[in-house]
Amino acid sequence: MEFGNDIIEKIGKPSMGVPDGYFDGLKSRLGSISSAKVSSPGVWAGMRPYLALAASFAAIVLIGNAILRDTAKSQPADPFYGEETYADIISITNPEILYNTTEFDLEELSDEDIINYLIESGVRTEHFAYAGDQY
Amino acid sequence: MTDKEILDLYKAGQPELAFKEIVNSYSERLYWHVRRFLCSHEDTDDLLQDIFVKIWASLSSFRGESQLYTWLYRIATNESLNFLQKQKIRAALRFESMSSKIEDRIDEDTLMDGDQLQRDLMKAIQRLPSKQRTVFIMRWFDNLSYEDISEILGTSVGALKASYHFASEKIKAELEKNLK
Repeated sequence: MEFGNDIIEKIGKPSMGVPDGYFDGLKSRLGSISSAKVSSPGVWAGMRPYLALAASFAAIVLIGNAILRDTAKSQPADPFYGEETYADIISITNPEILYNTTEFDLEELSDEDIINYLIESGVRTEHFAYAGDQY
Repeated sequence: MTDKEILDLYKAGQPELAFKEIVNSYSERLYWHVRRFLCSHEDTDDLLQDIFVKIWASLSSFRGESQLYTWLYRIATNESLNFLQKQKIRAALRFESMSSKIEDRIDEDTLMDGDQLQRDLMKAIQRLPSKQRTVFIMRWFDNLSYEDISEILGTSVGALKASYHFASEKIKAELEKNLK
C-alpha cells in the first residue's frame, strides 16, 4: 500500500463513538453543576491550614516544655551530691590511679584533689563550710 | 448563542444561565477534545465533569482578556494533561508502561469505529511527546488555528508550527513502518 506524503490525510480522522443519547444526558448533568452551588473556599477554609500549622507548633512547644521540666526535676538539685559525680574525680597528684585500679578508692584522693574538683565544679563556699563542720 | 452573548448574560447577573449556555455550546466540543487525549469514553466522562466544575468555580475570575472559548480549551487541555500525568505516575509506581496501557485501550475501545490503520494512527499520536501530541490534536482533530492554539498554550506560532511538523513526520514514519 502506498500513501506518499498524505498518509495521515488518507487514513483520515478516526471516528469514535459514544453511547446513544449520551450528549443529551451529558448536557443536563453538566448543567446541574451550577445549581449545586460550587462555592469558592471561604476565609475560614483558606486559613485552616495555617491554623493547623500554628496549633501543631504550639503543641510541640508545650509537650517539649513539659518533658524538659520533668527531666530537670528528676535530676538532683546539686550535682555535687549525685552518684555519678565521683566518676569525675580524678586525682591530680596521682591520675594513673584511674587506670591502675579496678575499684575507685576514695582514700587515694588527696584533700587538694577534692578541693580542686569542688572549685572547678562551682561548689559554693557554704558547702565548704558545711563539709568543714562535718569533719 | 455567541461567546459575547454568554458573557453579557454573566455580566447581567445571570451566571447560572451563562454557565448553562457554555454547557450547551461547548460540552460536546470539549468532550471530543478530551477524548482524543484520553482515548477512553469513561475517563473522558469523569474528567469532563471535573472540568465543568472548574469552569463554574472560576467563571467569576474570567476577566475577558482572552476569548471565552480559548479560556475553556485551556482549562480542558490542562486538566487532560494533568490527568494523563497522574496516570503515568500511577503506572510507573506499578512498574507498568503508560503507552502500552493506552495502546491496549485503543485496541479494546468498542466505541471506536475506525479500521486498523486508524487505530495505528491513534497509537502513533499517543506515542508523541506531550507538547507535539497536544499541538497535533488541536490542529488536526479540533481544526483550531495556530493563533488560537498559541493563545491557549501560551506558545509562539512559530514554535507550534515546528511542533506540528515534527509530529506529522513522526506519525508518517511510524505508519509507513507499520505498512511495510
